[in-house]
Amino acid sequence: MSSENFDNLRLELRRGGLVLAVLAALHSEQYGYTLRKLMADHGIEIDEGTLYPLLRRLENQGLLTSKWREEQKRNKRFYKLTVAGKQILEQLLNEWRSMDSSINSILKEYGHATSRTVLAGR
Amino acid sequence: MQLLERYLQAVKFWLPKEQKEDIVAELSEDIHSQIDEKEAELGRKLNEVELESILKQRGRPILVANRYLPQQHLIGPVLFPIYLLVLKIVMLCYVVPWTVTWIALLIFNSGHAAKFSGHSWVETLGSLWASLWGTAFLAVSTVTLVFAILERVQLNSHFLEEWNPRKLPPVNNPNVISRFNSIVELAANLLFCVWWTTNMSSQLVLNEVNLRISLAPAWHYFFWGFLLVAVVNIALAIANCARPYWTARRAALRLVNDIAGSVLFCWLLKSNLLVEIAAASISPAKAVQLTAAINLWMVRMFPVAVIVGVVIAVVNIFRIVRVTAPQARIPGERAAVA
Repeated sequence: MSSENFDNLRLELRRGGLVLAVLAALHSEQYGYTLRKLMADHGIEIDEGTLYPLLRRLENQGLLTSKWREEQKRNKRFYKLTVAGKQILEQLLNEWRSMDSSINSILKEYGHATSRTVLAGR
Repeated sequence: MQLLERYLQAVKFWLPKEQKEDIVAELSEDIHSQIDEKEAELGRKLNEVELESILKQRGRPILVANRYLPQQHLIGPVLFPIYLLVLKIVMLCYVVPWTVTWIALLIFNSGHAAKFSGHSWVETLGSLWASLWGTAFLAVSTVTLVFAILERVQLNSHFLEEWNPRKLPPVNNPNVISRFNSIVELAANLLFCVWWTTNMSSQLVLNEVNLRISLAPAWHYFFWGFLLVAVVNIALAIANCARPYWTARRAALRLVNDIAGSVLFCWLLKSNLLVEIAAASISPAKAVQLTAAINLWMVRMFPVAVIVGVVIAVVNIFRIVRVTAPQARIPGERAAVA
C-alpha cells in the first residue's frame, strides 16, 4: 500500500516536471524518438504513450511547432519551441525555482528534526 | 512486419477521424526507430517474437489510442458527489419501500400471493429480483440521465460556480436536541395524556346511543402501560428542554421507554381486544363480522409493528453508541455529558 501511495504521489509530482523537461529539451529541434532518448539520457524516463499526446497538447496550445521532414530515408516529425513556448518556459522555470527554494527553506527549518526522526525509525 | 501493420491498424481504429493518419504516421515512425536501434544493437533483423515483445511493451491498441483522445465524462467532478447522494436517496426512498411493499403484498394479499402458489421460494425470490432489477435500473437510468443533462448545462452556464458561504447550513451536531422538537414532543404527549385519561380509561371506550364499542378486560394493562410511556416521554421532553443534548443516561431511558411502547403496541395488536361493536345502523351479525375483521387486521399488522419497533430500537441504540463514543463529543459538551 505504501509503495502504491508512493507511485501515485510520484506520478503526480512528475506530471508538471515532465512538461517543463519537454519544453526545455525542445530548445533545439527534435523528433519524438530522439527527444525520448535525450530525456532518458538525462535521467527522465518517459514512455511514448505519455510523450506524444503531451507534444500534441503543447502544440495545440501554441507552445511548440512541428513539421514533417525526411531524414535517414524516413519521414519524421520534428518539434521545436515557439516564441510563446520560450516565454512560458521562462515563466515556468521561475515558478519551479521559487517552489524549489520554498521547499528547501521549509526543509532547512525542519530538516534536522526530520532526519533524526527517520534515523530513529530505522 | 505484418504484425506491426496490424498493430497500427488496430490503433488507428480507435483514433479520432481527423487525426488518424497523422498520429499513426508518427507512431509508426517511433516504432520503426526503436526497431532500427534494436537491430543495430543485435546486428541482425528482429524476429517475430522480438517484434511482438516491442508491441506488447507499447500496450494494447485501444489504450494507446485512448491517450490521444480528450478526457471525457458523463458526470464531472463537481456534480458527481451530488449524483451519488441522489442515487442513495432514490435507493432508500424508492427501491427499498418498493421491495418492502412487494414482500408485504406477498405475505398479506392473497390475490398477489396466489400468483406464486406452487412456486418454490427460489422462484419467488427470482421473481422479486427480476422486478427489483427493473425498478432499480429505471431509477438509476433516470437519475443518471438528469445529471448528464445538468452536467452539460453546468459546463455552459457555470451555475454551480456561484455560491455564498452565508447560505451554507449550520454546523450539525447530532448530539444536540432541538428545543423546538422537545416542546412539540412535550405538547403532543400532554395532549395525548389528557385525551387518553378522559376517553380511554374504561373498557367501554364509546357508549353513545347510536354506537357502542367495548374492549376486553386486558385493556386496563394497556391503558396504564401507554399512560406510563407517555408520562416518561413528558419527563424526558422536559429534561431535554432544560439540557438540550443527549446524555448516555437519557438516551438509555429513551431506548427503554420506546421498547416498552413498541412491546405494548405489538401485544395490543395480538390481543383481540375489540369485544363488541354495536351500532344502530348495522345489524348484530354485521357488527360481529366487523369486530372479527378489525381484530384480524390488527393481528395482520403485527409483523409491520415488530419491524417498526426494531427500527426504533436500532436508532436508539445507535444514539447511545454515538453519545458514549469519546470522539463524538465536542470539547464544550464534555463537562455537560459527564
